[in-house]
Amino acid sequence: MAKKSTAKTPENKLLVGIDLGTSRSAISADNGKKKWVASYVGWPRDFIARKVVGKPMLFGEEAVKHRLSLDMYRPLKNGVIKEGTARDEEAVKELIHHLITLVQNAKDAEKIRAVVGVPAESFKVNKVALKKAVAEFAESLFVVSEPFAVAYGVGALDNALVIDIGAGTVDFCIMHGTVPAEEDQRTVLTAGDYIDQQLFTFLEERYPEADFNLNMIRRFKEQHSFVGESKENVEVEIPVEGKSTVHNITDEIKRACESILPAIVESTLELIAKFDPEYQDAIRENIILAGGGSQIKGLADYLETTIGEYGPTKVKVVEDPLFGGADGALELAREMPEDYWTEL
Amino acid sequence: MHNGDSTKIKASILREVYEDNLRIADPHLQPIHNRYRQGIKKLSRPVPLLFVFFACLLFYFIANTGQQQGPGAVDAVTIQPVFPWAEIIYKQQRLQSPASTVSFDAGRLLNYDLLLNHNNIRLSAIFGLGVQTIVIDPGHGGKDPGAIGSNGTKEKDIVLDIALQLRDRLQKTGRYKVLLTRDTDTFISLADRVKFANEHHADLFVSLHINALPQKEFNVTETYYFGPPSDLHTLRLAEQENRGSEIMTGDFKDMIKKIGNVLKEQESETLASTIQHNLFSNMEKYDRVIADNGIKIAPFVVLLGVNAPSVLVEISCISKREEETNLNNPEYRQRIMASLQKGITGYLSQRQTQVVKGENNGKKIHRKNT
Ligand SMILES: Nc1ncnc2c1ncn2[C@@H]1O[C@H](COP(=O)(O)OP(=O)(O)O)[C@@H](O)[C@H]1O
Ligand SMILES: [Mg+2]
Ligand SMILES: [Zn+2]
Repeated sequence: MAKKSTAKTPENKLLVGIDLGTSRSAISADNGKKKWVASYVGWPRDFIARKVVGKPMLFGEEAVKHRLSLDMYRPLKNGVIKEGTARDEEAVKELIHHLITLVQNAKDAEKIRAVVGVPAESFKVNKVALKKAVAEFAESLFVVSEPFAVAYGVGALDNALVIDIGAGTVDFCIMHGTVPAEEDQRTVLTAGDYIDQQLFTFLEERYPEADFNLNMIRRFKEQHSFVGESKENVEVEIPVEGKSTVHNITDEIKRACESILPAIVESTLELIAKFDPEYQDAIRENIILAGGGSQIKGLADYLETTIGEYGPTKVKVVEDPLFGGADGALELAREMPEDYWTEL
Repeated sequence: MHNGDSTKIKASILREVYEDNLRIADPHLQPIHNRYRQGIKKLSRPVPLLFVFFACLLFYFIANTGQQQGPGAVDAVTIQPVFPWAEIIYKQQRLQSPASTVSFDAGRLLNYDLLLNHNNIRLSAIFGLGVQTIVIDPGHGGKDPGAIGSNGTKEKDIVLDIALQLRDRLQKTGRYKVLLTRDTDTFISLADRVKFANEHHADLFVSLHINALPQKEFNVTETYYFGPPSDLHTLRLAEQENRGSEIMTGDFKDMIKKIGNVLKEQESETLASTIQHNLFSNMEKYDRVIADNGIKIAPFVVLLGVNAPSVLVEISCISKREEETNLNNPEYRQRIMASLQKGITGYLSQRQTQVVKGENNGKKIHRKNT
């Protein structure tokens, strides 16, 4: 059995796992390097903009900073590469290229072998486009769905449920000893961005005089997110007529974070219900939260209690929500038998 | 699970990933046979019902390609109220029944793998799984007020308010991407509404309207899907709603080819009846004499052009004084919104269970051999 999987990676090859996210994309390489970048690609709008930014193309936060001079793309927004839009496909390609250059040792031009995890929705819709996008930079690659990569990384291969809470989507994926089939996966659109929108609306209602924007809102959320009982008051500084003022946003944070719970609980129950009762118990006791949203305080406890009404339940959070997907993809790359790596 | 098990599972999973990815390059490869998967998937021996189902899908797909020129290509601004009804009805009659079409295509064309791996088909759209895009179309807008009540209430304002609420409500479930053809008081041509829905790959299209009748004491709820007019009343209504469609007779004829889209028609009918049922049970509570006109067929341009199942709802009649008063009440509109939402989600979840059941041969899934 072990004959295939022990084959060594040949010299001069670099194995990478890539997580293409709706808001953040991460790469994890077997030389130990890990990097992430906001999933934005921007091209200078014109000749002058090109001079101003000094580069033909910008990525991540840098692109966001110069957004006024750039044509900006967030190619996987909503989890799907927009079909037939050449620029979106190109943006995905450049993003992957950029990630690879971040971990590559430039001097010894290594050949890249990649496993790329993509949002479950785009996996279904546009595998071919994705594969084409990476072909240029990699000698060989595999495309897998992102929650599956997470599951593989934490060894949750059988009777497990992975819930990957990202910015644009929450992806669910039940593992039962195989690559998950279509009906074992589900995508829900009330995720991180939705919390931001809700929080924005709530704060606008309560503090109409306060002056905030979506970026500030996201920062507040990432610092203070919680569901359930609050232990202390959440207070943040928001300018009012140019003067920094302390605002209590405890209630609003709670309501915004909790707005994604009903869809998560419902989807979980529905996915699990499709299995025979003996497996339902096993799956319920092996629920794994991943993605940026898994850091919401109290989330695992809340789900454990709520879903617990249907039987014993255990909910864990992955150790490294930022790199869970990329690490899982790298693990897949490491364990992929040598003769499966066919050249593109 | 002990380690030996885990190694075996890993080996077979890795092989699956490998074969899945090979199939990305070559969709004609046979599906993999993971040992853990045997006894789970029975798709290699489809039961007749499944067979017909997939053949329908394939037919749907074929009927939808090769006619990209749709209304998007229309730029001439000609209002042409004389539609070729006779021709529509003629074509309708010549249409093969769904069953005969299916059995003809099925033998030669049905290839489950091809269907699954064709990268232009949106699986979620076909299978009703995953995220679905719902386009809601509040009728009229801007310079076109639609029907007007005797106190000046305008159809365009009422339907916009209901549409906005409906969007928020549906979005909250996390299940659907919900788009509005307009979210402000602006004029949008029917051609652009159609284009919008198709460009966003709508899985479902619901156009919202309020009616006005010359007989001011009447109140009626009715839901339409596309087809030739069944009587003069629907013809007149269609003419009203088609005004400003900016589609010429020639293009209209092209669009009629879509009548061959059997699946869309059947789905539209089901959608229409779920919506009508839910909406009417709600309206009845407030107006005991409101008439249930049920689901009807009419040649609305918007319904024809959109590729997805589509319906047009005439919620009620603003020409009746009491109804106009009611429509001005936010709570009343919210009730209407809720009943529309029930109709839409009711239809979608119904379709979803059908699909899931179909895929698993109607049995409880039990994906493990012990
Ligand atoms: N501590 C936190 N609490 C709540 N949400 C968070 C936290 N940290 C990050 N997020 C949110 O997680 C989302 C990004 O998660 P990620 O898994 O990287 O998304 P994706 O894979 O879709 O790119 C964003 O909406 C971000 O605001
Ligand atoms: Mg992610
Ligand atoms: Zn109307």
